[in-house]
Amino acid sequence: MLSTFFRRQNEKSLKDERFAPLFDKNVPKDECVVFDTETTGLDKRRDSIISIGAVKVKQNKILSNEALNILIKQDSLINKESIKIHMIRNCDLEAAVDIKEAMEEFLFFIGNRTLVGYYLEFDVAMIDKYIKPLFGIKLPNKQVEVSAMYYDKKIKFIPQGNIDLRFDTILKNLCLPKLNSHDALNDAIMTAMMYLKLKNIEKIK
Amino acid sequence: MTELLKNLHPHPPFSLVDEKAFILLEHSMQIAYYPDDTILIDQGGVCDRVYIVIKGAVESFRDEEVVNIYHENDIFGGEEILKEQPSKERYLVTQELICYELEKEPFLQLCENYPSFKEYFFSSIIQKIELIKQKKEFASMSDIMLARVERSILHKPCVVTHDMPIKEALQIMQDQGVNSLLVKNIKGYGIVTDADLRYFILNEERKNLKVISDIQSYPILSLREGAYLFSALLFMTKNSIKHMPILDDEENILGSLELIDIMSFFSNQSYLLSTQIDKASSIEEVVDAASRLDIMISSLYTKGVKSRYIAKLVNEINTKMYNKLFMLIFPESWRSKMALLLLGSEARAEQILRTDQDNAIIFEDGFEPKDAEEYCDIFYDTLEKIGYPRCAGNVMLTNPKWRQSLSGYKHAINEWIDNPIQKNLIDMATLFDSRVIAGREDLHKILIDYMFESTANSANIIRYFAKPIESFESALGLFSQFVTATGEHKNEIDIKKTALFLIVHGARVLALENGIRTTNTYDRIKELNNLGFLNREDSRDILQALIAINTLRLGAQLKKRENGEHIDNYVSIENMGKMDKDMLKDALKTAEKFKQIVSYHFKLSSLG
Repeated sequence: MLSTFFRRQNEKSLKDERFAPLFDKNVPKDECVVFDTETTGLDKRRDSIISIGAVKVKQNKILSNEALNILIKQDSLINKESIKIHMIRNCDLEAAVDIKEAMEEFLFFIGNRTLVGYYLEFDVAMIDKYIKPLFGIKLPNKQVEVSAMYYDKKIKFIPQGNIDLRFDTILKNLCLPKLNSHDALNDAIMTAMMYLKLKNIEKIK
Repeated sequence: MTELLKNLHPHPPFSLVDEKAFILLEHSMQIAYYPDDTILIDQGGVCDRVYIVIKGAVESFRDEEVVNIYHENDIFGGEEILKEQPSKERYLVTQELICYELEKEPFLQLCENYPSFKEYFFSSIIQKIELIKQKKEFASMSDIMLARVERSILHKPCVVTHDMPIKEALQIMQDQGVNSLLVKNIKGYGIVTDADLRYFILNEERKNLKVISDIQSYPILSLREGAYLFSALLFMTKNSIKHMPILDDEENILGSLELIDIMSFFSNQSYLLSTQIDKASSIEEVVDAASRLDIMISSLYTKGVKSRYIAKLVNEINTKMYNKLFMLIFPESWRSKMALLLLGSEARAEQILRTDQDNAIIFEDGFEPKDAEEYCDIFYDTLEKIGYPRCAGNVMLTNPKWRQSLSGYKHAINEWIDNPIQKNLIDMATLFDSRVIAGREDLHKILIDYMFESTANSANIIRYFAKPIESFESALGLFSQFVTATGEHKNEIDIKKTALFLIVHGARVLALENGIRTTNTYDRIKELNNLGFLNREDSRDILQALIAINTLRLGAQLKKRENGEHIDNYVSIENMGKMDKDMLKDALKTAEKFKQIVSYHFKLSSLG
């Protein structure tokens, strides 16, 4: 299989042995990591990560007590537009760490667990952008897209429908509490709730 | 800290801890998902964590009976852990649940560090009411700050011309019993108050003071109608004046505003109201004063005064009002031959906001004036103007059935007892909850004595009388959900039918059986406790439940009035805070228990 091939290539190019456990085939059952990043913008090449929020989900529980919430030092000042969105000002970054340290912490946190997220592709690409040069690899973890899960359950109810996949719409349709702040950890927790709920229901009205 | 966690902060018991506690919570709480029908804690099972509902619903059952329902921000499991007992109830998810879970260890640590947090789990309904009261007190003091200067608070202006001799003007002051005199000058007004009179007495000879304008303070400070009462208070305090004319838009004097009245408005409007009713010399003046009662109720409520005490105060003022109307409307020759009765909630002194007119007249035997209808109509119209709507059941003195001679009523009682159909039982309950507001008390006493006697002599009437208590179900007992009403009243419960009626009617029936004369439900319950029918604990619980129900009902009604909605007995569950919900649940449980005590006592289940 081609994916197996790429996976092997990826593993071979690992430069840092500390992250070998990421490739461990013995993936813990019923465990995953839901994560979200806040970035300076939506351009994968130019923009950078400001913060990462992640929580483990084990069976039916979100382990919010051991959540990961990392702020990352920026090379340049955050521009005004993105401050308006994620409300992270330059002065809020005092507790921030280097990107390398952040990536190490993140990788240790996720291990070989499945990754779950909302528009995960973007977040994964942002992480890959940093870890490829640092450690030689891209994220090898299995990935689950929450909006796709939602789509699959929703389409059962309205086969030809146009399905609104906006974050807030999904929250609303799943009857989940809506939060006002959109930092990475809050969003990760909300996404984790979506995931748990979607995992447990057959279809959505 | 995540927003989800922060959201807990306004809700007790989390409102009772500080930031440090939240750091502990952040590091120990997990979020869990449970599908429908999950049993979280089984009856007899051991509880190893506390649950805080984020979304969804959990119901607790004792055997098959629903004991409690938990919604958003509600917490459970704490009591079981603290008491180190197996759970007495089974906690079942009835609507997909997302909740926080706090393990036993950190929970106990919190309890140790924050005694008030721990106490919450043992707090009785009364303490919960205290917490809510504090919240309300905090909430809207602003209402009272927004009151405006209105005509009803003003004193009649006493205006004299500028050239009136001083002594003559003083005589007018004396005759009219006013504290200040307005002087109409060629241009503008002046005012004469106590201070000016001192000046007059000291300087009369020396300065040759003759006419009233010689001693007036001129020009006067005044405010327009519609100014904020609070700014009027500041204005008068600032300028050290105690009397101030209020003008309309055309600069006409409407009346005089007295500092003392403003002060009493801000401390307690009841004083002002009752003086006004006392002073009233026409029906219109009574209507004017009484129409302001609602403002007083709102302000007292926002000040956090218990509904029971508000009801008492309202009752005092209403008594005055009815007495005054009785004097003003009915011919003098009638007054010694009749009793004016209040019926229903007003007679029980439990009415706060005006619901509808419930009143009656007993005439002395042999005295049945032909033109009774005419006067009763005036009485009815006046009450309607004040804001008492027509009684839907037509329990009013305009109805000949409620305007009878003593022996007429006795016949009616006999008939009710002989034929205990629903309609008659309602009439009986209505008449039993009656009170003389003006006129001959003895007529009423004879009537109630007759009622005690004839019910005691009839074997089953009291049981029939009690029976309706079974016709309304508690919102918690029968329905698995808190919310019972549908359609227009979705997510609301009729607090009168599901709780208040149970307590009021139970107390009423037992009062009739035990010869208790007082009509107030609180007093009836206390009396039943004195007689040993109810034990201390039960009667205390019932009284607390009654306070809770009335407080919630009043809150809902005031809100409806504010929004211009129809005032009814529905209380919305949807937007109710956790404290209110807890309180309501406890109250509903107590009401249900009381109902069972009554049902058992009268063996209602064996009555067809």
